[in-house]
Amino acid sequence: MRIEKRLLSRVEGIAELELIWGNGYVQDVKIKIPSSRGIERVLEGRPFMDALVITPRVCGICGHAHLMACVRALEDAIGNVKLTQKAKLVRDITLTVEMIQNHIKWFYLFVMPDFIRLGEKIEDFEPFKGKKWKKAINVSSQVVKIIAIFGGQWPHSSYAVPGGITSNFTTSDISRALSIAESVAEFFLEDVVGMDEEGFRSFRSAGLWEELKGDIGLFVNLCIKHKLEKVGSSYGRLLTGGEVFPCITPGHFTGEKKLCSLNLSKIKEVGSPSYSSVKVVRYNGLPYETGPLSRQFLSNNPFIKKLYKAYKDSYMTRVMARLLEIWELLDAIREKLYGLYALIKEPSYYHPYQKVEKVSGEGLGMVEAARGTLIHRVHISKGIITKYHIITPSVWNLGPRCEKYLGVAEKAIIGLEHPLHAEMVLRSFDVCSVCTTH
Amino acid sequence: MNVLWLQRLSCCGNTHSLLNCETFNALLKEVNFLFHPSLSLESEEELLSDITKGNVKLDLLILEGAVKMDDQRIKELCYIAEYVIAVGSCAVYGNVPALKDGNVCGLQYRFKEKGGLLGEDFVSKGGLPVINLSGCPAHPEWIVGVIRSLSKGIKPALDSFGRPKEFYSSLTHWGCTRNEYFEWKIEPESLGSKKGCLFYNYGCRGPMTYSSCNTILWNGMNSKTRAGTPCFGCTEFDFPRVGLFETKQFAGLPAELPIGVSKRGYIMLSGVAKMFAPERLKSED
Repeated sequence: MRIEKRLLSRVEGIAELELIWGNGYVQDVKIKIPSSRGIERVLEGRPFMDALVITPRVCGICGHAHLMACVRALEDAIGNVKLTQKAKLVRDITLTVEMIQNHIKWFYLFVMPDFIRLGEKIEDFEPFKGKKWKKAINVSSQVVKIIAIFGGQWPHSSYAVPGGITSNFTTSDISRALSIAESVAEFFLEDVVGMDEEGFRSFRSAGLWEELKGDIGLFVNLCIKHKLEKVGSSYGRLLTGGEVFPCITPGHFTGEKKLCSLNLSKIKEVGSPSYSSVKVVRYNGLPYETGPLSRQFLSNNPFIKKLYKAYKDSYMTRVMARLLEIWELLDAIREKLYGLYALIKEPSYYHPYQKVEKVSGEGLGMVEAARGTLIHRVHISKGIITKYHIITPSVWNLGPRCEKYLGVAEKAIIGLEHPLHAEMVLRSFDVCSVCTTH
Repeated sequence: MNVLWLQRLSCCGNTHSLLNCETFNALLKEVNFLFHPSLSLESEEELLSDITKGNVKLDLLILEGAVKMDDQRIKELCYIAEYVIAVGSCAVYGNVPALKDGNVCGLQYRFKEKGGLLGEDFVSKGGLPVINLSGCPAHPEWIVGVIRSLSKGIKPALDSFGRPKEFYSSLTHWGCTRNEYFEWKIEPESLGSKKGCLFYNYGCRGPMTYSSCNTILWNGMNSKTRAGTPCFGCTEFDFPRVGLFETKQFAGLPAELPIGVSKRGYIMLSGVAKMFAPERLKSED
């Protein structure tokens, strides 16, 4: 038995892997995430609107998802809040844009450079120098402009408020957003999958992932060369709590049965072991994986259905799900942007309460963030937050073991034979340590 | 110029702010990033030990995130580096992570108290105190702008909080598309409007906050106030204040007036402004 500690870079924040080696493979693993910033405690005692500014600061890369979970929790607590279709659509659009930004950066900046460490000569993906690396940064900086158009800025916008959104906009704003979405779609087709739209759509409908070219084709070849297509499986239990209309709906997969529902009362947090400050969250007492793999599997993405059948929830399947989700999200965004034209005259906002001092109640907000299901819970008494609680996607995926079960990522790493593979499998969950501890 | 970027108690928002910069790729041709935790392949520990041994020259240390008061590693590196930048309000003032933890601070400040991790007299080898780029996050043009200046041997002039005057000497209010509403003292009827000034009822800190947000814009596109969200004053030491969407009133006046405006002047001008405000500004269309 030998214990090896590895500090991970190229994740959001800092994560440490403690690998316990024996007989040439990982016998046990502990994922350690340091440094909490105490954000939930900062919220207590403040007027509830402050949460719209402070909760996005949980995370630099998915802060917008925190804003959306927060505004839904506040609206739930206020009760009977009506939203115009326009406000709903715009919120959906900006939330989805943030996911696309994340997925592009994650694949090009975090995932592909790992193959350089495995000895592959793929200079285009080299940090700070590679052509592809630079292009990915450029494209992700373009796509978030759509959030800026409607929400003022990214990161750290606070434009979604109980009752709607703070901004109003014109047809030329929609047009600018559409142009950006189109240019990202071009990038996806040309660079990510290396083919025209017609070709991609026909492969998609048949789920022929082996036919994909471009950077995803390169990724598949590298996975097969390094025998990564089969490793990194966890429990194969998948969960999605939020919704991205029309492509993602809530549900869960028990490993045997696919169910189009989720019972919120079955989401419970239990005590964590001493090595971790991260909570343990379970659904129906069991560990579940959340994120793009869950979403794309549950929404019957033909590529992911086939990949899952062949390789289950492996490293390769998990990475492909996140990357191919970009297209599904882009399609949804374009449809919604076109839909906005007919709604342009609707108000952006209705004031949802009479007097702020009279607002009391409990609320829950659940959204799909880039890494999976994000839940905010708030208690408000006379306009003041008395309790705030956040369950991030990374708590589901990276959280430690409970008495009965290993954590999801822990389970996926045990059995690997190469320390770099252990890092890569952990990165396949898209580690966000800043969210995990907040 | 050799640049090292490190993170402590942070949301990594300044990293993503930097990556948003359309000129970031161009900057990479001019400066050499030794290490960035979100981006590099190399091991942080090896590089840091090379730097402390003097094998690698450290021209610029950029720290993102608040620090624990006993962070000897960061302290040591600050004394080795030619210049030190604290990027984002956490690294500058301690900010959110310092609110509930007395052992957390910024590099040279803890909120408005000078001192922080390095002490009030700290000056880096290059002859400057910590260059503070406050903001939550800092605007990417501020980050890239200062890195470029330093790489050309130009030392930025700093204000009393150690912030480059170039970016922090004008108010966020400058360039806001709602300025005409401010002048004529017209409030919006509700949120979600292109019209009306958010200073009067919605807590906008634009006239009390130093930043160039509304002149250079975010993501090259927009700003909070233009999008109908009040400025929360995130470049100042007291961010995040309590009651971020509220304008505190005192005897019918905003409890805090725009920087440099006297109470008497404000009362006289606002009375006149309200009386003569043009009709075109008053109606929603």
